[in-house]
Amino acid sequence: MIEIKNITKRFPNTPVPVLKGIDLKIEDGDFVSLVGKSGSGKSTLLYIISTLDHPTEGEVIYDSQNLKDFEQEEIYQLRNHNIGFVFQFHYLLAELTAIENILLPARKAKEVEKRRGFAMELIRIVGLEGKEHRFPGELSGGEQQRLAIARALVMEPKYLFADEPTGNLDSVNGKIIMDLFKKFNEEKGTTIIYVTHDIDFAAMARRRINLVDGVLE
Amino acid sequence: MMFLSIRQLMARKKQSLLILLGITIGSAAYVAISGMMLGFQTYILDQLVNNEAHIRISAREEILTAADMASYSEAAHVFWEIPPSGRKDSTRIEYPLGWFKKLDADKDVAAYSPQVVAQVIFTQNKITKVGRIIGSQYERQLKVTNIENYMKSGSFKDIGNSGNRLIMGTSLMELLGTRLQETILVSTGSAQPQMFKIVGTFETGIKTIDEGTAFVSLTDAQKLRNTPSEITDIAVKLFDPHHASIKAGLWKNSSRDKILSWQESSAAVLSVFKTQDIVRNSMTISIILVAGFGIYNILSILVNQKRRDVAILRSMGFSPKDIIKLFFNQGMILGFLGGAIGLILGFVICVIMSRIEVIPGRMSGPGNYMIISFDIIIYIKAFSIAIATAIISSIIPARAGGQLEPMEIIRSGGQ
Ligand SMILES: Nc1ncnc2c1ncn2[C@@H]1O[C@H](COP(=O)(O)OP(=O)(O)O)[C@@H](O)[C@H]1O
Ligand SMILES: [Mg+2]
Repeated sequence: MIEIKNITKRFPNTPVPVLKGIDLKIEDGDFVSLVGKSGSGKSTLLYIISTLDHPTEGEVIYDSQNLKDFEQEEIYQLRNHNIGFVFQFHYLLAELTAIENILLPARKAKEVEKRRGFAMELIRIVGLEGKEHRFPGELSGGEQQRLAIARALVMEPKYLFADEPTGNLDSVNGKIIMDLFKKFNEEKGTTIIYVTHDIDFAAMARRRINLVDGVLE
Repeated sequence: MMFLSIRQLMARKKQSLLILLGITIGSAAYVAISGMMLGFQTYILDQLVNNEAHIRISAREEILTAADMASYSEAAHVFWEIPPSGRKDSTRIEYPLGWFKKLDADKDVAAYSPQVVAQVIFTQNKITKVGRIIGSQYERQLKVTNIENYMKSGSFKDIGNSGNRLIMGTSLMELLGTRLQETILVSTGSAQPQMFKIVGTFETGIKTIDEGTAFVSLTDAQKLRNTPSEITDIAVKLFDPHHASIKAGLWKNSSRDKILSWQESSAAVLSVFKTQDIVRNSMTISIILVAGFGIYNILSILVNQKRRDVAILRSMGFSPKDIIKLFFNQGMILGFLGGAIGLILGFVICVIMSRIEVIPGRMSGPGNYMIISFDIIIYIKAFSIAIATAIISSIIPARAGGQLEPMEIIRSGGQ
């Protein structure tokens, strides 16, 4: 369970805080969509929850352990083993093939061989069978994003964070991504929190959080 | 991170190859030039150190000056129309026994050889040539120098202890137009000329020695000079030739004789070596500098181009250290590979050079081949320079990569 308490985020040189005292609990296995107008602070909140950014005030607690008490190395371990990210841009490494990209987190964990079988299964699940030795440049935008999802899931993380994962895709490809999320949430129990602009995609979540002017509605 | 480092290097083959080439050429040039220069230097140095004495003690050539004349006090009522001047008559070591005692007791002295060195005129038929003879006891002389190694015919021992037998440089023999077993006339100018039989020849490769030096026995030289039992020089060999100038300095304090270390007598040659070293080092430094800047530039550009990759790697749990390694490895791979290929290339060039025949003379060793040094130190130095260059030029951009904040990159959409 992730618990955030009274989160405030203020950027230097900006008078009004982006986030104003947010409290939120995310249960294990939850499927949450984060919506709001552009500039309302969705991304900022997502990155604070996911350890990449730090709140100005407030606490982020993973399974009753406060992130403030984590050593740097423990944060890296947490990201490596328990957290998967999908961004609006796919951020694939151009020099690596599809399968090598998927196995990158396993490389950090020194589990490349252990995870190879699962990586191939993921390739099949995200519909990239036969394309595992292609480079990202040889894949379509939709395929690249599906590859990024496979990479985020290769360590079988407890949490998956996605910031507008369908933002650059057409509705058909967007739907494929959302179905994959749903599938992983239902079959693997992965806790998923995603930011989206799309009303239909937001509605697919079990829970919808609406951010308005830095507070939860 | 090695896996990813290699992949990134391979993705920019042209750039990587260019830098690799720079480092390779740098280290190969260092090996080849050092091999050539040091080979030459060691050979010459060996001759300077071992053909001659490490320290030479010789009679002081006293020049009479007006001050010397002042010792005739006023009371003597001596008046000079033209005061005497020039060199004092006899050149000899005043108290050789004192020296022998001192040298026998000195733990740093390996051997010494009393000598008579004299300027002479060699005459064969109508041809005359000015040079010098060195008279010595061969057992002692052989302990002090390695002249035996340079004998072309006969043995150094053939000069014996008496009997007017002589060994001369091959060039001198040619100049005189004489041959082995022939006799020539040797004259000091002041005493009666004497006949000497040529029983051997040597060739050191140093022109001034080969063209003007002959060895005879100590007794024969003393007879020739008409100064029995006198000696003019003592050649001293130390256990460690590097100590020669310090040792000579100490002896100078307590003696009126002239004392010269091999470093002092070869000062001109040593300064040429220094110039060579400067040329060699500055050439290497400039090549390496270019290669170093190449690595630095490429990595800096790479770190900037790979900001998105850094962001995603960090979000997966890779640490700043991992990111530093990612970039640092690439510089190190170039340094290692370039250094290693450079060593091999340099070695091959050295082998080829060592097979080049050159005109007999200073550049050539025995057999008239170019003398190339294959000293392991050269190779260690070349490799160290390549690695050091790679480390220094990689660490700054690599650290910049490690300090990239993933959040900032992601917020800006990876731009
Ligand atoms: N580094 C920053 N410095 C100053 N203001 C920022 C910075 N990052 C984001 N903001 C501001 O914070 C607000 C929320 O941004 P963001 O969380 O990206 O919104 P959303 O994802 O909902 O569009 C925006 O008004 C944005 O301009
Ligand atoms: Mg956003």
